[in-house]
Order: sequence, then structure tokens, then C-alpha cells
Amino acid sequence: MNIVNAFHSKVEYYNTLDAKDRKKFWSEMIINNALYILLIIAVIYTYVKNNKFLSAGSIMNIISLSAANIPIALGIGGCIVLTGTDLSAGRVVGLTACIAASLEQSVEYATKMFPNMPVINPWIVILIVLAVGAVVGLVNGFFVAKFKLHPFIVTLATQLIVYGIILMYISLNGNNGQPLSGLDKTFNDFVKGSILPTFGDGKIVVPNYVLMAIAITIIMWVIWNKTTFGKNMFAVGSNPEAANVSGVNVMKTIILVHTLAGAMYGMTGFIESSRIGSNQANTGLNYECDAIAACVIGGVSFVGGTGKISGIVLGVFLLRIIFVALQFLAINQNLQYVIKGLIILIACSIDMRKYLVRK
Amino acid sequence: MKLFKKVLAVSLASAMVFSLAACGGKKEETTAAPAATEAAGETEAAAEETEAKVAAEDLNVAVFYYTYGDTYISSVRTALDAALTEAGIKFQNYDANSNQTTQNEQIDTALTTGANLLIVNIVTSGSVDASSAIVEKAKNAGVPVIFFNRAVEGDEDEGKVLGSYDKLAFVGTDAPEAGHMQGKMVGQYVVDNYDAIDLNKDGKISYAMFMGQLGNVEAIYRTQFGVEDANKVLVEAGKPELEYFDPSNADKYQVDQDGNWSATAANAYMNTNLSQYNETNNNMIELVICNNDGMAEGVISALNDKGYNLGDGQSVTIPVFGVDATDAAKQLIGDGKMTGTIKQDAEGMATMIADLSKNLAEGKDMLEGVDSSKISEKVPNKIYIPYAEYKGE
Repeated sequence: MNIVNAFHSKVEYYNTLDAKDRKKFWSEMIINNALYILLIIAVIYTYVKNNKFLSAGSIMNIISLSAANIPIALGIGGCIVLTGTDLSAGRVVGLTACIAASLEQSVEYATKMFPNMPVINPWIVILIVLAVGAVVGLVNGFFVAKFKLHPFIVTLATQLIVYGIILMYISLNGNNGQPLSGLDKTFNDFVKGSILPTFGDGKIVVPNYVLMAIAITIIMWVIWNKTTFGKNMFAVGSNPEAANVSGVNVMKTIILVHTLAGAMYGMTGFIESSRIGSNQANTGLNYECDAIAACVIGGVSFVGGTGKISGIVLGVFLLRIIFVALQFLAINQNLQYVIKGLIILIACSIDMRKYLVRK
Repeated sequence: MKLFKKVLAVSLASAMVFSLAACGGKKEETTAAPAATEAAGETEAAAEETEAKVAAEDLNVAVFYYTYGDTYISSVRTALDAALTEAGIKFQNYDANSNQTTQNEQIDTALTTGANLLIVNIVTSGSVDASSAIVEKAKNAGVPVIFFNRAVEGDEDEGKVLGSYDKLAFVGTDAPEAGHMQGKMVGQYVVDNYDAIDLNKDGKISYAMFMGQLGNVEAIYRTQFGVEDANKVLVEAGKPELEYFDPSNADKYQVDQDGNWSATAANAYMNTNLSQYNETNNNMIELVICNNDGMAEGVISALNDKGYNLGDGQSVTIPVFGVDATDAAKQLIGDGKMTGTIKQDAEGMATMIADLSKNLAEGKDMLEGVDSSKISEKVPNKIYIPYAEYKGE
């Protein structure tokens, strides 16, 4: 009903405009939604060029690839709402992926990192990686909040620290930096298997990690929209002084946002460890770039205080659809960098433009 | 050689004092200062043995790795650490983290801290400019250099850098060799199992190629020869050449855009490829060639998701080939999930580097005792560690 009412009021507003304002109304609308218009054009173009792009298998592939990136994007989104960022995200994904993999290597695997340890229940591993991620996030949050350091600097530092820890971790027990592979079947089934029925002659599978991503999206939506903590986060993001005056514990909020973000990276690490199947020092490298881009495209503004869970999820999908479309069109690799860069630039400009107009 | 000994003699304060005293006995009328310089020259003959012993302890080696994040290089690092420690040689490791500028700065710093042997795994492989800049630094300091693993010059420039300095050696692999070997292995395997591999029975094998990094000579050769040589074998056996699975991709490869040779990149590509090229559409990718084992692992993970290469004897196995023979790849081959790889001998490389260092420490010629079959025919200070096929034990 809300949507219908909003639409009606828009129509009424439109009817009150004169010809010049009407023209402006349309051009504004096109610019503000340029990204979505471009996306629709891109999808149609790709489909015309290669009609397998919209086959069931391909759509499921886009959903799966996006799902794996949703937790990290949701986590980093909170940091951006606070006008910050998190450069350590990718390395935390790498560390937690390596930890998860080392705990879940099959007992028969010849070069198992901890040879005498049984395969651990995946639920316990989830708790462990969430905790590891949360600890890094806690450190980030503490230094940002306590010493008023810019998150860029703090997370740049922790990014290096975490990379060092990854290098040490994968050299443990004579592993010598070799990839952590040979994951146990129970673990792979837990992450990549499917509790849902398959369709399309069993060729199209909805992997469990898609369900995990959905569950995490719901949890994060509740946290952002229905809890005091969520409301405090937006208050601190738009104006920390005002939030402080109105009785919000700014320090606690900043620390918690980063801790929650860290836990989300841990979740991505958990999924990636099984999805990629080979975990090494470079696992997770640069993941934060795509995650930050997805948030910005999805309307989480670096100005702070604005952003929606639905926007972030949309951003992740949009970015992934573009990546997959580029592959379907077999676009030259050099050009792909240019296109990705342009998309991010356009998205940010549109976002800032809205803000400047409002001002 | 002479220069090196001089540097050692000059740098070793203790040796100087020792030789001064020795000279003092012979030449009574000289002042202290010229005696010192003369002594440096004379000790070479007079105190050869004493000096050699001192030198073994005083060799101060700086080892530069292009990145700690590379799996194969990690194996070399572990082996080289062990070999140098065993030889009683003092060394310090540096990680350039895939940045040539960082590496150059580290080399400058190491030289100021008194390193007298540089062992360099250069970041920008195959670039004469990058490697000659490092050689220049070493030359100015009079310090010998051993390059390893990553090429210092392209084939067309062979000898340009390696011939420019007398205290220089390269320990590595013949970059095209891995590609040639992989291509031959792929070709032979396809010829032997042609009908089983040709899933859609169209008489042609469609393949996917995953490249580790743009602009890296090893990656370029592997991408090129991995297919070309396979085609040669196929044509000889009267079979049609391999066909790239995606006719609209003119590159005929998919590359890790971050240049990390990573499983993640290969996995993402393969997932998307399989959503479009599969048995339902009757255009399944029937063969996968990867620049390294990490990428092969990522591909196999994607295939596993779709029920291929499970190693259970029932599922269809798409042949996947890599390079490196990492432990993980060996295990996959043992489990029947992967078909073959090319072994890069990390320990062989580390042992060779340690042997050269020991030669220097003992005051011998750097290349003394090196098996001549391993030395390049064109450049006398280029040592090759041979590759080997690996298809399981």
C-alpha cells in the first residue's frame, strides 16, 4: 500500500509542475537512476549477443557468486555508514578462510596441517571464524574510537598485521606456505551442498551458502533497522557530536560496528574456504575493493549516515552481473579494468550529486 | 674473483689486523697506510686458507623474494633457509610483496647494512631494465648477485644482463620448458584418451586455458606452448587441433586480473563458464589447462560443484593440467581428480643456490662444481633446474 500511495503522491506532484519543471523532473530521474538504466541496457545487450546469459544455470551462477560476497559487503557497509572504510577486510577473509580450512581438512589428507586432529563440526568452526574476525574488528574499532584515528589508517595497519599472521599461520607445522586443501566432504557438503531440492534435471543446485547469505542479510537487516544499535550507528554516521549530545555512546557504537563487520568477514572466509577449495596467503586479497564498490554503487554514501541493506545487496548483484556479462561478451581484459573503474566512478558521482542537490 | 677477495679482505677488519702484523715482519720500511692496501692484495696468496675460514662466517647474505604469498616460492624459501643455515651462512630474508620499487629499496638498505652477497628473486620478470638496475647497484658495491626463479631477461636479450657483470649467476628454469612439457603431456594424454575426453562426440576437443598473470614471461610461454605443443602431438597422431571453448574470445585464455595466479580467479571464471558451457547445452569444456596448480585447484573446486572430477570412479572427469606439483596437486592427482602437472623442483633450486653461496664463502669460483649439463649453452652463468612431468606416483 505504501508504494502505491507514494506513487500517487508522485503523480500528483508531477501534475502540479509546468512544462519546464516536468522536463527537469525527467532528466533528474534519468540521472539518478542512470546506473539501473545502464544495467538494464547491459543485460539486454548481453542477452541479445549471447542468449545463454539469462538461462537458469547462468542466473543461478550469478546468484551463487554474489551470495559469497554478500557478508563482507554487509560488514563493510556499516563502516562506510560511519564515514569510514575497512581495508583489512580482504585479509581477514584470507585469515579466517585459512583457519577454517586447516580445521576442516580430511583425516586421510596426506599433508594435513594438524595431522592428529579430527574434522571439527562446521558449526563450531563458524563460531571460531566469527570470533577471529570479530577480534580484528574489535581492534580496528577500538583504535578508531579511542584515538579518533581515521579508519583508513587503522585498517591499513591491521591489514598488514593480519597478512603477517596469515603468512605465519600457513607455515605452521611444516606446512611451509603450501595451500590448505583436501577439505573434508562433510564440510564441503555443509557449505556447497544443497538442502534444497535441485531442479533442471539436477543440474541446477542452490548451494547452502546462498541460504547462509540470505540468513545473514535478514539478521543484518534487523540489526540495522530494528535495534537501538542500528539507529545509533546511523546517528553517529551522520553527526557524531549530535549523537553524543543526544546520549548515544559513540565509542561503543563505533567499536561494535567494526566488530560486527569483522565477524561478517569471518563468515565470508568460512564460505570461501570451501568454495575455492585452495586456501593460501593470497586468498581474500583485494576482496574489500569489490565490497566497498558494491556498497557505494548500492547507495551507501561516504558522506555517512545513509545506506540500506537492500541497496548493498543490489550493489553486490549489480557488480557481479557486470563482471559476468563482461565474461559472456568475452570483452578484452584490458578494457574490463576500464569498464569497472568507470562504473565505480559514475556510481560515486551520482551518489554525491544527490547529496549536493539536497544541500 | 680477485675483486671479491679484495672486498672481503678490506671489509674484514680482523683479517686486516692479522695481515698487517704478518706484513710488518716482512717489510720493515713501510708506513701503516700503504701497508694496509698492499696487504689486502698480498694476503690473497699468503693467507688464502685462513681467509677462507673467516669468510664462511662473514658471508652476509641478503635474500630477496618477490612475494611471500607465492606457494612455490614458499617451498623454495623453506628449502633455502634450511640449506643456508646448515652451511653456517648468515642470511636475512626480504619480502618485496610484488613491488619492484620495494625490492630495489630493500636492496639499497641491505647493501648499506653490509650484505656481501645478494640472492634475488626479481619482481618484474623478463625485464632488462629492472634486472640491470639491480646489477648496477651490486656492481657499484662490488657485491656478487645470484638471481633465481624469475627471468632477468627475455629470450631476445639473452646475455645482455647476465653477461654484463662477472660476479653474476642465474639459477632458474628455462621459461618455455614448462610450457613445452605441459603441452606434450596434454597432447599425449588427449591422443591416448581421445574418445573418452570428447564428451559431445563432435570429433573435437574444446579446452579452457587459465593464465596466471599478464606480461609474465613464464605465464606467456605456458599459455602459448601448453596449447601449441599439444596441437603438434595431436596433428602428428592424425587428430584435429584443440579448440578454445568460447569462439568469441579472441585471446583464447582467461587471466587472473590481479596477476596472482590465484585459485579464486580461476574458480570464478570456471563457475561462469560452466553456467554457459555444459553437457546440457552439448558444449561442455572437455579439457582444462592451467598455468599453475593453484588455478587448477580452483577449477577442480568449480567442477566438483557440478558433479565432475569427484574421484569416485563414477563421475565424469574433465582432465585438468597444472604446473608446480604442489602437495595439494599431488594429492588431487592421487585421488583421480586432477590429471597431471609439471614438477618445479623447489629443493633442487634451493640446493643449487646454497652451493653457489658456499663456493663464494670458500673463496672458490661461484660456478665451480656445477653439473655442466645444467648450464645453458648460450650463457655460461645461467643454470637450469630441469622440470619433470608428474602424473602420480
